[in-house]
Amino acid sequence: MSTILTVKGLNKRFSGLHAVKDVSFALEAGALTGVLGPNGAGKTTVFNLLTGFVPPDSGSVEFDGQLLDGLAPHQIVNRGLARTFQLARPFLGMSVLENVEVACLAPRVRQQGRPRLRAQRLLEQVGLGERSEFLVDVLPYGDLRRLEIARALATNPKVLLLDEPFAGLGSDEIRPLADLIRSLHRTEQLTILIIEHKLRELMQLVSEVIAMDFGEVVAVGPPAMIVRHPRVVEAYIGNVEIGSALGRTEDSLGAA
Amino acid sequence: MVILKIDWLAALAALVVLAVGPWLSGSSYVIGVLTVALCFGMWAASWDFMSGLTGRENFGHSLFIGAGAYTAGFLNVNFGLSPYISLVAGPLVAVLFSIVMGFPTLRLKGPYFALAMLSAAAVMQSLTIIFSEYTGGQDGLNGLDPMLDSTLAYYYLTLFFLALTAVTLKLLANSPWGTLLRAIRGDEASCQAAGFNVTFYKIASLTISAAVAGLGGVLYAHYQLQVGPDLFAVILSINIIIMVYVGGMGSIYGPIGGAILLNVLTEAFRSFSEYRLWVYTLVLMFIVYFMPQGLIAPLWRKIRAVAP
Repeated sequence: MSTILTVKGLNKRFSGLHAVKDVSFALEAGALTGVLGPNGAGKTTVFNLLTGFVPPDSGSVEFDGQLLDGLAPHQIVNRGLARTFQLARPFLGMSVLENVEVACLAPRVRQQGRPRLRAQRLLEQVGLGERSEFLVDVLPYGDLRRLEIARALATNPKVLLLDEPFAGLGSDEIRPLADLIRSLHRTEQLTILIIEHKLRELMQLVSEVIAMDFGEVVAVGPPAMIVRHPRVVEAYIGNVEIGSALGRTEDSLGAA
Repeated sequence: MVILKIDWLAALAALVVLAVGPWLSGSSYVIGVLTVALCFGMWAASWDFMSGLTGRENFGHSLFIGAGAYTAGFLNVNFGLSPYISLVAGPLVAVLFSIVMGFPTLRLKGPYFALAMLSAAAVMQSLTIIFSEYTGGQDGLNGLDPMLDSTLAYYYLTLFFLALTAVTLKLLANSPWGTLLRAIRGDEASCQAAGFNVTFYKIASLTISAAVAGLGGVLYAHYQLQVGPDLFAVILSINIIIMVYVGGMGSIYGPIGGAILLNVLTEAFRSFSEYRLWVYTLVLMFIVYFMPQGLIAPLWRKIRAVAP
């Protein structure tokens, strides 16, 4: 396996707050990796730095053999690094199909078949095929998440960054979405990086975890190791009830 | 496809009415009112193409109108050039203005674009007073040559340009380009995340909007045979926005209908003499309150839905 994304020494300050501190990591092509951390750990800022929405103070991102320094968000997407947003951001006032069609018109994928047909196929892939004519404004939250993923897939990415895809979803919606992400990883050979602050969902899904706290990477490793890592335990549970919380996590791991 | 056909048939019918009506009436008063209404139609449609589709409201559309009109005034009155040159030069100057305005302000989020356009138009209005030895100050430039001898022929020339620009803008709005502009209205960050240079598309659509507005300004100048500082006025921009709202935002054809309707209404209310503005305002409030989506475009969509 080859490395597709290398992040070196990323730093970002927001007027006094050191949101991202010297973050470095690498992703192997085809990996399914999680970014774990409590709210405010700097996970979304890392995504914003990777995708050009926020410029870093220092550090570099190398994607697919090229440095992304100073590129605008649309240029980075057109090189094959796509993302979704933590809060779903649909194009209001347009149909579900049109929402995906827009992404199919991007320079990177314009030539890959008729946008409308491609959009319909992508919607079927994420399980929204029958809702393509709906106005996006009436879509329930779980479907908006799928729409975000379809839109990101439309740009035909090599690496997909998912920002808390399970946020705000009920447990009955989480499982099918996790299945979708798993199948995308398997069938499309897609490299996926998922932000999540819910331990259980993330641990069942990914093969490696980058744990963050206070803007720093505190641990990198397989899920089973991460849940026992003292810094992760501290960030999540503090010093109380470590035993019982860990027990619960391991139960859910066992069930996976 | 059937629906598309109905749309174009209706547009053709409207064009025939606009072409035959003044000819049948033969009244130079009617022809004059409608010539002005058609100019407003071009201004409203061009405002709608940029601001109606992308949602970035332009509160200084009169900047482009004045730019076109004063270009016509300068070239014809000060330099004695043929009015026809202005049909190209006016839109070009307006496009130049739009690039100067759009490049710094459309890169930013927030109200900067709207405010910058508002102030730029106001500044230009003041400049016409300050440089009065070239611009004629408050009196403006007078004695422009008419493009055509007959007012009816000039009306048809204006109608030709309105139809041409309306069809162009509507085709663009229905193309992938228009889909993208509507997506920008929906969510700018998502457009970037989908791989689009949002700033480029906003500036490009502003230049197209400015070109059409400038052309309307040239036609208006050579109808009035006079240009004045009021062509840069904020109230002109506001009136255009009202016409777009009444017509139905984002539809291109709606705002043209709104512009013609409100121009004709203003004339029809002349019989109310000093109460004219009251009545006009009441009608506007009625429309905005009961039909927040506008009057013409939503009405047409309803008719189309029940059409065979």
